[in-house]
Amino acid sequence: MVDLIKKNAKSLQESLFSSVGSAVLTVATTYLVINFFRGMLGFALTSDKDWLAVLNNMQLYMVQAYPEEDFIRVWLSVGLTFVLAGLSIGIWRSDDRVKSSQVFNSFFKGGLGVLFFTIIAPTNASFMGNDGSVITEEVFSMDTRLGILIPVAVFCVIFFSIRFTNIKFTVNSSDMVFFYLFIPVALLWFVKLPTIQLDQNNERIIPDPVMPIADTTKIPWTVIFVSFLLSYFIGMYLKNIKSIKSIMSLSWFLLPLLIFSWIFKKPQIDMSVVLGSDLPIFGVFLLWGFLVITFVNNSIFKKYYSTYLGVTFLLTLVGVFSGLPMLAKTCLLLIALFSVVVPAVSTSSQGKRSLLIVWAVALVTLTFLLRGGASDTGIVVPGSSIFGGFSLTWLLAIFGTYVSFPLGVLLALGRNSKLPIIRIVCTGIIELTRSVPYITWLFFASVTLAVFLPAGVEFNLIVRVLMVTAFFSGAYFAENIRGGLQSIPKGQYEAADAIGMSPFQKISLIIMPQALRAVIPTLVSSAITAFKDSSLVTIIGLFDFLTIGKTVIGNQSIPVNFVGHDRENLIFVAIVYWIFTFTLSRRSMKVEKKLGLGER
Amino acid sequence: MSIIQTKDVKKWFGDFQALKGISMDVAEGEVLVIAGPSGSGKSTFIRCINRLEQHQEGQIIVDGIELTNDLKNIEAIRSEVGMVFQSFNLFPHLTVMQNITLAQIWVRKKNRAEAEEKAMELLERVGIPEQAQKFPGQLSGGQQQRVAIARALAMEPKIMLFDEPTSALDPEMIKEVLDVMKELAKSGMTMIVVTHEMGFAKEVADRVMLFDDGMLVEENTPEEFFNNPKSDRTKLFLSQIL
Repeated sequence: MVDLIKKNAKSLQESLFSSVGSAVLTVATTYLVINFFRGMLGFALTSDKDWLAVLNNMQLYMVQAYPEEDFIRVWLSVGLTFVLAGLSIGIWRSDDRVKSSQVFNSFFKGGLGVLFFTIIAPTNASFMGNDGSVITEEVFSMDTRLGILIPVAVFCVIFFSIRFTNIKFTVNSSDMVFFYLFIPVALLWFVKLPTIQLDQNNERIIPDPVMPIADTTKIPWTVIFVSFLLSYFIGMYLKNIKSIKSIMSLSWFLLPLLIFSWIFKKPQIDMSVVLGSDLPIFGVFLLWGFLVITFVNNSIFKKYYSTYLGVTFLLTLVGVFSGLPMLAKTCLLLIALFSVVVPAVSTSSQGKRSLLIVWAVALVTLTFLLRGGASDTGIVVPGSSIFGGFSLTWLLAIFGTYVSFPLGVLLALGRNSKLPIIRIVCTGIIELTRSVPYITWLFFASVTLAVFLPAGVEFNLIVRVLMVTAFFSGAYFAENIRGGLQSIPKGQYEAADAIGMSPFQKISLIIMPQALRAVIPTLVSSAITAFKDSSLVTIIGLFDFLTIGKTVIGNQSIPVNFVGHDRENLIFVAIVYWIFTFTLSRRSMKVEKKLGLGER
Repeated sequence: MSIIQTKDVKKWFGDFQALKGISMDVAEGEVLVIAGPSGSGKSTFIRCINRLEQHQEGQIIVDGIELTNDLKNIEAIRSEVGMVFQSFNLFPHLTVMQNITLAQIWVRKKNRAEAEEKAMELLERVGIPEQAQKFPGQLSGGQQQRVAIARALAMEPKIMLFDEPTSALDPEMIKEVLDVMKELAKSGMTMIVVTHEMGFAKEVADRVMLFDDGMLVEENTPEEFFNNPKSDRTKLFLSQIL
């Protein structure tokens, strides 16, 4: 143990005090860092800060004014996502093992962090009083300091010395996810903090009674955690089913659509509409597809196939601009695209059979989603928009990326296309969207977009924002991906050509995987930018996470007066943003490392 | 019966004429070595045979199919013709095994087990079965080139084109690649090899050609080519290279 300390001391000396210059730099930086954190802690601990302004408004932060009787919808979508995540972790369960020493080491480091802050925290701090005078008070007494220091120091010593014992084991790294998630869920049941209580006259009871925080969420979170765990085991069980991975990928693709069309809508399932319109349309197109697949190799039909394609496309064009139900329009578009693919795929009887299944499943899914999506009863909140707070920020970030990433891939490919029309259109879209500020696009979404849409078509403001966000970040993604495409040597294209791959196979199997891998860092930073830029929607009257903290809570006077307590909220908001972006960038570094295996 | 026929093939890069009318035949099972100085059009010529470059005039007929702009013809010819490049061009994001099975699965529509069996067979043939699960970046140049040969062979081509397969290799790795190529030649594969390895030409080739300035200068048997060349240009070339 002494050797270890000596060794560490030596390496410390080498890395920090190797020369006079580096010694000075080390001391100066340490001084600055310590003073920065001292200042922050002093600021946070003075008695004029009311951190309950943050704690008490969690619901507002998360969902804004979302009606309480509909919370089940939010929980359902969170739960569904977790179930799918659990299944995926189970199916893609990694074989990596985490060593116990690594786990203990991270506990030890965490303890050291707490020790650091406890030691440097200032005893006295001053703040500006209401009358402008500077008030200095004791914020961190010696008793509190020792009360924290001693247990944490013991904790650190335990986890430091445990590496000299025989306790050694390894844990599967996928299992660790559940362990780490278990901690906050368990804490929900036990941690008690000062909470605001109002008496009969709606006056705040001071001092604040100590109660469990987030009491209403502990049962939903526990249920979600348990189903997360259960789906993990189910996923491990399902691992060996043949096409399970493609089914999972498809489910991830469908999940947001399901959430937006069924959970965040109040679907009107009017049986007369379902029976009178949905089912007949479904039946007609199902039959149409079946007939095409069955007779595609028939010699007479083959002869007139191009005529059939032309008629179908013409019908689609007419149909889309007519008054047909949405389902019929979408199905027309689908059958037209489907008819193009059929001759290439259905050469063998096996191909035909799987094509039949694909067609049936696609139609069922489409009908199901559109029935939910077409019911126009969103959730009505008097006087303001539906979403707000973190769910809005999250929606904009996730859905923005979800739509804009594939769009970016298509635009990048289009810009590199040999066909002049496609190239010009794609270049135009990219350059147009990139050369106008995002805020301008937001105003465009809120004010002008409605003018461009056909009469009778109206979208919610959030949907319009999502539309411009998709194009805006799509354009940035496209340029990043184009950079990746340019880094692929010509030889890769030639090698793919030489082994007889079709252009589609060449792009999807050889070029894209390498191009995307080359630009992961820029893609992630684009995603992070999109996540943070979503706070700009405040400018067109949407209440995102930041706006809730800065404006809404900063002006809150009913039921509790929090006017002026926006600084606490801003710090909280900053920390939450930081946690998410930091996690994202760390994850992406891991992915990079994993994919870097094949790099030269 | 000749498997490749070209008639008066001409090709321009802008104003520069790279091929000035090449006419030749290659018989099935023949090993043809093309030599010539840099910029003589020999690489351009064999790249025209599987349409990596497009010729502007003349005719190329491979296995009875004429190369035109028709995509179906091009794909049909490419699946008959394997190609090995100077810079290997393995897919760096895939393992050696995946490199070899990819085209079998997606182009030849084989199932995975079949494709992997074939890949192992080929890796054994080129002498590196133990490297199957590595990535190309973890192999030496000679090993990479042998994987590239296996990848081309996995498509079961009738013709193999080699575009300076040993030019990017260290001297001691050249032999291992040439050995694989010799074995391949003995097995009766039709091969067109662009190379500077005159030893290989002497030992294996059925015919040797010399390209210069986009033209076919000499076409001869190896013995005649090295010992008794017809044209002065060949004499000059041989005097510089040997």
